[in-house]
Amino acid sequence: MIEGREIDHLVNLKAEEGYWLGSFEAMASPCEIFMEVEDQNLAARLLDIASVEAWRIESKFSRYRSDNIVHQINNSKGRPVKVDDEVAHLLDFAQQCWMLSEGMFDITSGVLRRVWHFDGGSRLPEKQDVDQVLSHVGWHKLTWSRPYLTLPDGMEIDFGGLGKEYAVDRSLLLLQKETHGAVLINYGGDINAKGQRKGGKPWSIGIENPGQLNTPMGVLKVNQGALATSGDARRFILNNGRRYGHILNPKTGWPVEGALRSVTVAGSTCTEAGLLATLALLQGEEGEAFLKNQDVTFWVTP
Amino acid sequence: MQLKKHKKIKHALTAATCTLLGVDATDSIAEEGDWAFDSAVLYYSEVDRVDAVEPVISATRDFGDEKLLNIKLVFDVLTGASANGATPSDQPQTFTRPSGKGAYTSSAEETPLDDTFKDTRIALSSQWEQPINRDYKTGFGVNFSTEYDYTSFSANGNLSRDFNKSNTTLSAGLSLAYDTISPEGDIPIAFSSMAIDSGQDDFRTEFNATRGDGEDTKDTVDLVFGLTQVVDKNTVMQLSYSFSDVNGYLTDPFKIVSVVDNNGRPVDYLYEKRPDSRNKQSLFWQAKHHFKSDVVDFSYRYFWDDWGITSHTVDLRYRWKLGRKSYLEPHIRYYDQSEADFYHRFLNEGDSLPDHASADYRLGDLNGITVGVKYGVALANEQELSLRLEYYLQSNDNTEGALPGILNDVDLYPDVEAIIFQLSYNF
Repeated sequence: MIEGREIDHLVNLKAEEGYWLGSFEAMASPCEIFMEVEDQNLAARLLDIASVEAWRIESKFSRYRSDNIVHQINNSKGRPVKVDDEVAHLLDFAQQCWMLSEGMFDITSGVLRRVWHFDGGSRLPEKQDVDQVLSHVGWHKLTWSRPYLTLPDGMEIDFGGLGKEYAVDRSLLLLQKETHGAVLINYGGDINAKGQRKGGKPWSIGIENPGQLNTPMGVLKVNQGALATSGDARRFILNNGRRYGHILNPKTGWPVEGALRSVTVAGSTCTEAGLLATLALLQGEEGEAFLKNQDVTFWVTP
Repeated sequence: MQLKKHKKIKHALTAATCTLLGVDATDSIAEEGDWAFDSAVLYYSEVDRVDAVEPVISATRDFGDEKLLNIKLVFDVLTGASANGATPSDQPQTFTRPSGKGAYTSSAEETPLDDTFKDTRIALSSQWEQPINRDYKTGFGVNFSTEYDYTSFSANGNLSRDFNKSNTTLSAGLSLAYDTISPEGDIPIAFSSMAIDSGQDDFRTEFNATRGDGEDTKDTVDLVFGLTQVVDKNTVMQLSYSFSDVNGYLTDPFKIVSVVDNNGRPVDYLYEKRPDSRNKQSLFWQAKHHFKSDVVDFSYRYFWDDWGITSHTVDLRYRWKLGRKSYLEPHIRYYDQSEADFYHRFLNEGDSLPDHASADYRLGDLNGITVGVKYGVALANEQELSLRLEYYLQSNDNTEGALPGILNDVDLYPDVEAIIFQLSYNF
């Protein structure tokens, strides 16, 4: 145990056939680090670096904590909050994504969860309740002037749609400073791999829910590059025979109709792949056409 | 509700992502393109003889996809004395320097050493490696080295193929080299008598009569075939066969052979003469085994050539991990060689000259043992510092049978001892 680490922050390292597999829990997901390095000490150090980074990002950007910058912003009651470089970079990125998606990707849309409960039940929210919450949604309503963010009272931001993918890419970058060996990072299905394995063989990753991907046997073969998945087929509301998926349109406050249940996109970074997957869901019935136009490799579950 | 006709946003998104992650490459977040440096200083000292200091700097750049470029620069400084091949005597002996300018003297009963030995060498080599496809990998390299009287060019290429899920690798390599030697004072005519300056007027003419061309060359073809086998998770073995064919000037222009009389006293010094071709072959076997944290590395080489030399080399290293950051690596190496057919410690006056003769102790019947230890410590950011200290002892055996006169009372086969100290730092 490293001093100061919380008691539930445990890591596990074991030797596999030709590589080391490290695992831990972060961001409510099982996290795995595959490392093709010879030395156990190096593997242990890499695992340590990746897990510390994942937990750092989780604690800094989680909206479930009361001791971080996100809580401070969400409780600023209209006063400007000065943010550090990393938060500023993420806000810049969120702004660019909001513009590129013409308002469909919006990190202020999280408050809609106050009225929408995708628990498999049948209850739909009242229209006036949705409209009331929707008045607190919209990136254009806040003022972002680096390094000051001013959020009107009642609005909230949520990095949940970016955090896990960002953690994958950040962790990989840190590991690449330590080793030239092949490394794969898998944080709850969001994956990024770098470095050719000895003999060029791909990594094999067990997939929790093979139904989500067009890959056989629930095993994913990854050489290099990133994969990110968006969507959760289990989260919906069934009302009067009509299925309401959990992807909410930040402009209307209502679920996107005809959205794909799950999308997996391959890319050079997990953050980019994750964004494309999320945007595809927000396109509704046009999701697949949207992806085809982006020249990326993808898999969908309609 | 949807993006206008699904406009392509991927490139803009890629750029935004790269900004977010603080990387400038648009298609890769790898930190390829960084150079990794190794540097080392090797200090080699033969007791009473040669001192060598050899700084090495080596840089490797990873271009990704297993493409590697290595550039290495070596700078050697050699100073000191080297046995010239003559036998010791009960009288002081005077020899002409290889340049013909001046002389050097060895005292009675002392092994004659040429003390003019000083040279600096600069070697530059460059090697490129890349995979061709999943199974094949190739590499090419060029090397150049130059010193005061010697230049060498070589080029090499190799091809390897993985089988059996990369557990087996077969490889073949070819190397061609072209060397030029141009000693100061020109190349001595083989078997000519060393002219000694004892005040005679025509010494210069006598010396020039022993000199041939200003330079000569040799060319070398090397072939290596190797098999690497992963035996189990912790053991890897390598077997290789090498073939080498050298043609041209293989004689050492600085070495002589004493012609002795019935009493063992020198009556003449002849410049040595070696064959103008040499065919060498060797078999090499190496096994490495990883224990939980330690590594043992064992190798054996059997060498033979058409000069009549056969040799055996056994090498054993054990890397003993001292905690997470450092290791201690004891090393022992044993070498045993039989002499070349034309090796003669001396020639007898009155005997007819053989076709070839050399008294270079390195071609004699000898064995050598090296014992040493290396200590390495990992610094921050994958940097490593290591120190190597080794002791080398070489002994030559007498194969001449009965010795004439005074040669029974002198040490014809002195041991060679050397201390090697190396400091390496890679960053």
